[in-house]
Amino acid sequence: MAMKERLTKADEAKPWYGELPVESLYTAGIAGEKFFRSIQEKGVFLGSKCHKCNMVYVPPKIYCEQDFEKLEDYVEVADCGSLESFTCVHIGLDGKRLLEPMIVGLINLDGASTSIVHMLGETTVEELCMGMRVCAVFKPKNKREGAITDILYFKPTKQ
Amino acid sequence: MSDRVGIIGIGATQFRSITPDVSYKELMFEAAVKAYDDAGINPRKDVDTFVTCAEDYIEGTSIFDEYVPDQIGAALKPVHTIGGDGLHGIATAFLQLKTGRFDIAVVEAHCKPSNMLTPDGIEACGQDPIYNRPLKLNTHFIAGLEMNRFCYETGVTYDQCAKVVIKNRRNALNNPIAGRAAKLKLNDFKYAESVSCPLTELDIAQPADGAVVIVLANESKVRALKKEPIWVSGIGWCNGTATLESRDWVYLNYVTKAAEMAYKMAGIADPQKDISFAEIDDRYSYKELQHLMALKLCCSCNPGQCVDNGRTEINGEFPVNPSGGALGMGYMYEATGLARLYCAVEQLRGNAGKNQIKNAKTALVQGWRGLPTTSTAVTILNA
Repeated sequence: MAMKERLTKADEAKPWYGELPVESLYTAGIAGEKFFRSIQEKGVFLGSKCHKCNMVYVPPKIYCEQDFEKLEDYVEVADCGSLESFTCVHIGLDGKRLLEPMIVGLINLDGASTSIVHMLGETTVEELCMGMRVCAVFKPKNKREGAITDILYFKPTKQ
Repeated sequence: MSDRVGIIGIGATQFRSITPDVSYKELMFEAAVKAYDDAGINPRKDVDTFVTCAEDYIEGTSIFDEYVPDQIGAALKPVHTIGGDGLHGIATAFLQLKTGRFDIAVVEAHCKPSNMLTPDGIEACGQDPIYNRPLKLNTHFIAGLEMNRFCYETGVTYDQCAKVVIKNRRNALNNPIAGRAAKLKLNDFKYAESVSCPLTELDIAQPADGAVVIVLANESKVRALKKEPIWVSGIGWCNGTATLESRDWVYLNYVTKAAEMAYKMAGIADPQKDISFAEIDDRYSYKELQHLMALKLCCSCNPGQCVDNGRTEINGEFPVNPSGGALGMGYMYEATGLARLYCAVEQLRGNAGKNQIKNAKTALVQGWRGLPTTSTAVTILNA
């Protein structure tokens, strides 16, 4: 052993408690602002298109991560799409079991090359399946604040 | 520049769920003393450069690089800390030795998650603050989404994922430093609590405290010290698109690219034939199968078959995580990849006891930085 002696009584191991009080603000940037304003004002999802590889990024970016092209062409995509994956989360941010599990989906909106992550509502996990059609449910317009939470959830639909 | 790089010393503490008897600095010190003794060197005199791997939030201290030199013998020496898995530290030290400027380099990584009172909250700080964090989800949700899609698309079953856990935790029974050894049965998974379906509590590697130190040297120094080294014959690293919205949830191209970089350097044409065994990331059960597929170490048509037909068992055709992996030894955040490397070196030296693989000559070691990252490093080792 590297150390000649170690603590041998558990009550000798005294802990000191500390915390890191960290607060930040974050800016969404040029493309992010357009995305959130479009949701807030029109309830419409906006993407950005790369004319080199035809990728449509939702949320939009001003650069293409595939070929580093500058993206300036914003396109509207549908508020419905197909469910690429889903999960039912039983543990909260505090590590404790949730009384009400949260259902989360990965949604490929029609017209987008990427998939957004959001809550699924008006359903149960047993009802879900891959490829299922889901549509966004937005907050009432006067309650929206230009955030990802302006979307309440996605719900299964026949559309 | 043609000098090879060899591993001449390794040291590790026991991996335990709690270690109230020692501080994190003492964990580092213990692993360092063992590694220097193994290498037969004095760090104050012989080591030219030090690399440590740590993340401020995990340590609970900002500017953490300031806290590392003393306990590994690195004061008044070139030392720096990188925010990456321990295997990224090996890549960094490897490059430093290749410059010819240094003869001996030391890599350290440790973890004391028993000090983290809010690990779920700390991990959630890694999520995108604008698009993902406002949903207030435990970070395991990403693994739940990924496991669901991966199993759907590849045909891997939840039972096959469970068999990875059973194998790795059983392998850990014969690993004296492992902290999470257990004998499990498939039936145990029926009663396991769901964390983020289909992921259960048993599919997740549980945290462990511990430290690992590795000593590397260039070829001329290895010869001068008359050591029997384990050669680092290939190394590669790569990052994918970390954005949840645009990442690939099934095929880990960044792992494939890192592996191809390492295979090319090591002259490996057929990984499944040229490599004897692998120590790879298994932070989650399905990750072992997903990583195997990306590393081209199993049939991509159905990676789950590897565990069904015993191919990845210690006595199988291609053993995977004979050490027990993170599932069997404990998940150690930034030190996880270095723990895999430590155990691979023990195998190649013939020191793996009951878990020894016959004729183990070449090993692949892979590290992943955990959720929500798409960051990996791959190393090829030769006896």
